[in-house]
Amino acid sequence: MTEEMLREVEQFLYREARLLDNRRFPEWLELFSDDVRYWMPTRSNRYPLNSKAISILDASRYEEEEVSGEDELAFMEETKKTLEMRVARLDTGMAWAEDPPSRTRHIITNIEVEQGDSPGELQVYSNFVMYRNRGERDEDFYVGSREDILRREAGQLRVSYRKIVLDQNVLLAKNISNFF
Amino acid sequence: MVLDVKSLVDAEAGLISRRIFIEDEIYQEELERIFARCWLFLCHESQIPKPGDFITTYMGEDSVLVIRDTAGKVGAFLNVCAHRGNRLCRADNGNAATFTCAYHGWTYGNTGDLQAVPNLQDAYYDDLDRSKWGLIPVAQLDTYKGLVFATFDKNAPSLTDYLGEMAWYLDCFFDRREGGVEVVGGVHRWIIPCNWKLPAENFGGDAYHVAWNHLSALTSGFTRAPAARQTPGGGTISPGNGHCILAVGAEDYSAAPVEIIQEYEESIRAETLDRLGPRLEKITPNVGTVFPHMSFLRGSSRSFRVWHPKGPDKIEVISCQFVDTAAPPEVKEALRITGLRAFGPSGALEQDDMDNWEECTRTNRGAVTRRYALNYQMGLGHDRFDEELGAWSSDFRLSDSNPRYFYQRWAQLMQADTWDQV
Repeated sequence: MTEEMLREVEQFLYREARLLDNRRFPEWLELFSDDVRYWMPTRSNRYPLNSKAISILDASRYEEEEVSGEDELAFMEETKKTLEMRVARLDTGMAWAEDPPSRTRHIITNIEVEQGDSPGELQVYSNFVMYRNRGERDEDFYVGSREDILRREAGQLRVSYRKIVLDQNVLLAKNISNFF
Repeated sequence: MVLDVKSLVDAEAGLISRRIFIEDEIYQEELERIFARCWLFLCHESQIPKPGDFITTYMGEDSVLVIRDTAGKVGAFLNVCAHRGNRLCRADNGNAATFTCAYHGWTYGNTGDLQAVPNLQDAYYDDLDRSKWGLIPVAQLDTYKGLVFATFDKNAPSLTDYLGEMAWYLDCFFDRREGGVEVVGGVHRWIIPCNWKLPAENFGGDAYHVAWNHLSALTSGFTRAPAARQTPGGGTISPGNGHCILAVGAEDYSAAPVEIIQEYEESIRAETLDRLGPRLEKITPNVGTVFPHMSFLRGSSRSFRVWHPKGPDKIEVISCQFVDTAAPPEVKEALRITGLRAFGPSGALEQDDMDNWEECTRTNRGAVTRRYALNYQMGLGHDRFDEELGAWSSDFRLSDSNPRYFYQRWAQLMQADTWDQV
């Protein structure tokens, strides 16, 4: 991975964060390919297979994976169209979870860029801390990791896949009305 | 009890005291008189289908472990070690023959029996009667159409009596087709800083808020446009015992605005009519609450959830989605994805409920605010017992009749010292 490419991806992700925090959502949407899959699974508490807290009765049924699967519930599982619908909803003057709007700050760190599986694709890892302050004194910290697939379309980097893994079991915020 | 419940709930006048949404003294009485007495929903059987499967949940603020034992029987226990009171199982779900406490290693079988105690011979001199120190079981456990309920009160009426006429209404969600429903994998769990009764009454029939609070989701395509919902009929329906149902008109299938789901509903219409009977030619139940705090809906999402109380001003929601077991895989997938986009903490509909419930709770901290009763007078005098529906039903779909019955039941339980007095 060239230094130049790494810098370009970093700047891309920082710019994305600034667009979100400045609530420039239509511009933010342009950073995603038309076939994007934007997925935020849930997490559960599960004992690992070697845990001595339980003795497993039926090992054939035991599920160790604690991140929800693709056929299970997720916090978000969006396409470009449903992301557009969510952004359009924010503009109705009646999206009460964001009216008055949240104050958000996306801190993006730990960026790693690798060659993707397909030619021209980049596999990008990053961590985020998203601070939300709302109303008079509501505070939420959404902390987690992202796995993105980026590709170049008409000279511009676009996100074609994003997996957002939040480091919480029970979501401690009352809702998720922002993007990651 | 020192509480003057009559001053808190005047269902006939449609006046409810704000104190019941904020005061800790009242909340502590609720834990005893509502949550330690009523039948409470635990899980759906499809979440623990095989021997050893377990799930952890809450009954009131009590941590509860629900287990299908090795022989296949479902039991529920306080998820608490008998020794020092440590929380026994810290996983959300799994499969186990035994559970071992992380503190000193006491080990319980999946029937709740205490199987092993470290140093039983040398430290307890083999003088500990293990049969007396098993997990504390619920007093009664029963299932209805796959829904597992339990109560801590051995004197509580049977689940059949507790549900009463509500049973048929539950069928309209959980037993529309042969095989009933199955739960989609995964769960939405989140914290809302609100009193538990606000979401319970909201799902119990607040049609009023839909067209305003959720209008943004309606107009941006997450659920059907309001115009499509103006079919005649429907109403707020109280089948008794505090249970609540909101129904839309018979011609309104109450399904998400997705072609494959609409077609599916069309295709099973005759079958569900045949299975559930002629009441379905009158109404389509689409959301409801089993008293006190298990709610469900069948609209843009098919979800059931429990509003677990965590103090007078906080709840933890545990919400699952369900699908008809007999539905084709592509319909199940469409329901899963449509449902999670509409309901859950990020749901385009549901995310807008939180601030309302939070602020409806928080404002009651004001001592002066708390002096003024809340208005539950919509449709007062405009509901009647409908023989065909086996329930009290409002004349119009927008009505406070359901919360009036809900809080009447709440008041009965809060005043009664025993089930006989309810």
